[in-house]
Amino acid sequence: MGYTFHTSEDQRIMLEAVGANSLDDLIEQIPPEIRLQRPLDLPPARGELELTQHLENLARKNIGAGSAVCFLGGGSYDHFVPAVVDALASRGEFYTSYTPYQPEVSQGNLQVMFEYQTLICQLTGMDVSNASLYDGGTAAVEAVLLSMSVTKRSRKVVTVASVHPEYRQVIGTYFAHLDAELVTVPATAGVVSLEDLAAAVDDQTACVLLQQPNFFGCLEQVEAIAKIAHDRGALLVLAVDPVSLGLLKRPGDLGVDVVVAEGQSLGTPMSFGGPYLGIMACREPFLRRMPGRIAGQTVDRRGKRCWVLTLQTREQHIRREKATSNICTNQGLFALRAAIYLTAMGPQGLRETAELCLRKSRYALERVTGGERWKSAFGLPTFKEFVVRDRQCKVREALDEAVRAGILAGLPLGRWYPDLDDCLLVAVTEKRTKDEIDRWSDCLLGRRPTA
Amino acid sequence: MRNVRASQLIFELSKAGRRAAHLPHCDVPCRDVKELIGDEHRADAPPPLPEVAEPEIVRHFTNLSQLNMSVDTHFYPLGSCTMKHNPKRNERLASLPGIIDVHPCQPDATIQGLLQLLFELQVMLGEISGLPAVSLQPAAGAHGELAALMVAAACFRDRGERRTKVLAPDTAHGTNPASARMAGFDTVTVKSTPAGLVDLDDLRAKLDDQIGVFMITNPNTLGIFDGQVAKIAELVHARGGLIYLDGANMNAILGITRPGDFGADMMHYNPHKTFSGPHGGGGPGAGPICVTAALGEYLPVPVVRRDGDRYSLDFDRPRSIGRVRTFFGNVGVLVRAYCYLLTHGAEGLREASALALLNANYLLSRVRHILPVPQGDRCMHEFVASAAALKKERGVSAMDVAKRLLDYGFHSPTVYFPLTVPEAVMIEPTETESKETLDAFAEALFRITEEPADLLHEAPHTTPVSRPDEVQAARRTILKWTPC
Repeated sequence: MGYTFHTSEDQRIMLEAVGANSLDDLIEQIPPEIRLQRPLDLPPARGELELTQHLENLARKNIGAGSAVCFLGGGSYDHFVPAVVDALASRGEFYTSYTPYQPEVSQGNLQVMFEYQTLICQLTGMDVSNASLYDGGTAAVEAVLLSMSVTKRSRKVVTVASVHPEYRQVIGTYFAHLDAELVTVPATAGVVSLEDLAAAVDDQTACVLLQQPNFFGCLEQVEAIAKIAHDRGALLVLAVDPVSLGLLKRPGDLGVDVVVAEGQSLGTPMSFGGPYLGIMACREPFLRRMPGRIAGQTVDRRGKRCWVLTLQTREQHIRREKATSNICTNQGLFALRAAIYLTAMGPQGLRETAELCLRKSRYALERVTGGERWKSAFGLPTFKEFVVRDRQCKVREALDEAVRAGILAGLPLGRWYPDLDDCLLVAVTEKRTKDEIDRWSDCLLGRRPTA
Repeated sequence: MRNVRASQLIFELSKAGRRAAHLPHCDVPCRDVKELIGDEHRADAPPPLPEVAEPEIVRHFTNLSQLNMSVDTHFYPLGSCTMKHNPKRNERLASLPGIIDVHPCQPDATIQGLLQLLFELQVMLGEISGLPAVSLQPAAGAHGELAALMVAAACFRDRGERRTKVLAPDTAHGTNPASARMAGFDTVTVKSTPAGLVDLDDLRAKLDDQIGVFMITNPNTLGIFDGQVAKIAELVHARGGLIYLDGANMNAILGITRPGDFGADMMHYNPHKTFSGPHGGGGPGAGPICVTAALGEYLPVPVVRRDGDRYSLDFDRPRSIGRVRTFFGNVGVLVRAYCYLLTHGAEGLREASALALLNANYLLSRVRHILPVPQGDRCMHEFVASAAALKKERGVSAMDVAKRLLDYGFHSPTVYFPLTVPEAVMIEPTETESKETLDAFAEALFRITEEPADLLHEAPHTTPVSRPDEVQAARRTILKWTPC
């Protein structure tokens, strides 16, 4: 039931041209003793209709944001995706092409990469962007490795407990093989204290890795932390929520050296965690240490403006073990989606999206903390996420109850922070209506929904 | 039809006051944002993104798409990349509600269907590879290599062994040595014989007690199955090392032979190649890895487990190397791979591989009279021809041939890789092409070799742009648009 063409006559002619009697003659390079002597043990082949029914059955066993009301965040968000994003990214000329190795027949993809890089620079205020990495976590690792290479300090990196725990775990995994130490400064108040951070950063520190808004939704003092890092010769790597930049100051205007982000918020569905895209942008002097594909402008032989993959001597297919990273592909399709999304939003649309997130999130926080049971965990300004603490310490029961009411009410933090076991991380995007927020808070407060 | 007037950047179409998206009115109390976010955090103005209307966006990106060659529009015999047909059903099914709208941190009870799918995919990938322990987490082939090398390093550490070297043949993908370095190993290159196989004498000479992993691509990047692989595994295992199979070329051997049966301890798949996931203009891919049962406890977290008819994400794996990315994996790509496997079944997969071999061998039989194929008359799923003679006799390079093919309406093969073949032209037709297409490609190649050298040096002639000045692009780097 595959996608092949040959009639038996085609096959006969082709085998004859090859000088083979049968298809089995073509595997003669494989020694008989290592050939598989039985059919693979796999489910039977299904036609398109049966396959569709099977997948629909599996999909029905899941509760997604389309059938429940989603207040989950922590790096993946239920933002609105305009139809133009799906319609344009579904063009086969985009999604069935590959890395633009032949620029003459890839100007579409190359121009998209160039436009994406420009949009990311406009969004972040940084000098240069690559054409994307895998996801937020691996982008954070690459930024840390870049910092180690730029500063020639390969043993120590400082981060904060308010950075996405999975980013920190990923860095920990990589560091276990590189003889480097990741020092994590606590953020018990919801943000890091400048004194604690200053005490941890020394002249061996390659960079400080910070997140804004941080994992708890709170706002860190980025500019002051940049100064602490720079005073000791370290870089500041900042992980951001791209949507927040509709409202917050741009990292490039705050002294940040490298910006990374989970790009999912920019027009990519949640899809159980991937594929997404890792955003990475930096200051110009670090360009040649940046990993990943980069598109550059040039001219063709007739002097016409065009685009190519450039600075490839950084990359693994040229430099092999001396490359800046082992990364090969970028996330082209999702960089395209991000580019279309940012273009469709424009400055006003992105600002309004960010303002809606902010106002709705604040409304939700105030509403749920208006009762006896929940209180704001940190009492600090937040953007679209916040942490609430359950005075009854029954977070899991509350979540189960909410699922029964068709609400994915928040992320329990105990999985990553044992001392926040009674806390819930809640995300409120522009999609959540007042009615949904009211139902959510009623549910968490144990009230009957106001019908 | 391509619009010849469309040549502007989206930024050049921008005009203050235009917009596409209109957000809803705020239905909660519309408080002043200055009250909610302090001046020290709030920007005075939104970022300077372009301002364009929806019709302009649609036309702009549609016109851009038409400047690309793609599998949907052209024969794309890019060696090592397996540019096969991307089934439309898989696109639709990966976008079903209940799959595409699932948050990565939902309770297991709300995602039983998805976990079942991923568990079944783990089992199928284990069966196809003969390596039963599977992680779906890595985001790409190179990421899978890195994760598996970390698994190996963790295993050596547990055994109390200090093994510092990764060996790979000179025909290996560049990602192999780059991944080895990121996993903390030194890399050593092993020579190939003139026939394109691993030079066993050179391997023996470089084997010592420091060997950690031998990375092999089999079939290799020359499109040859190295029949010595079991012997190689024996030599490496005898020194306590492990064998890693770079699964880039799995499309040649599905159901025919299994890496676990020829001595591999670890491998990755490229589902965007082998299992038809689209390449997306350069990603996303995925890089699931399979390892022996003994190495399974070191795999990244989480893995999907089944207890009776309940599925869950297992994070409680004390010897795991840990996480290698955020969240579970490139699930959209994995769902497409699952659909591909269920569409084919065991017999269909074996047939797909057999027909990939038939197409490659048939094309080889037509091409070798035009461009010599140094490594023989037979191949697996791809072969590497050489334009060295053409270059010597007429000054026409592999690049010239590649560029001229574009004028004939074919995407170019991979050129100048592997590095061991001078003027390499690496051709992988895949099984989803007809005899007529292969004949037309061979005919175009023949006609090109008869054309005047000057015409070829200037090729392509009919594409949206001619050859770009890559030297200028690297010297005077312009990496973003700036207002004049």
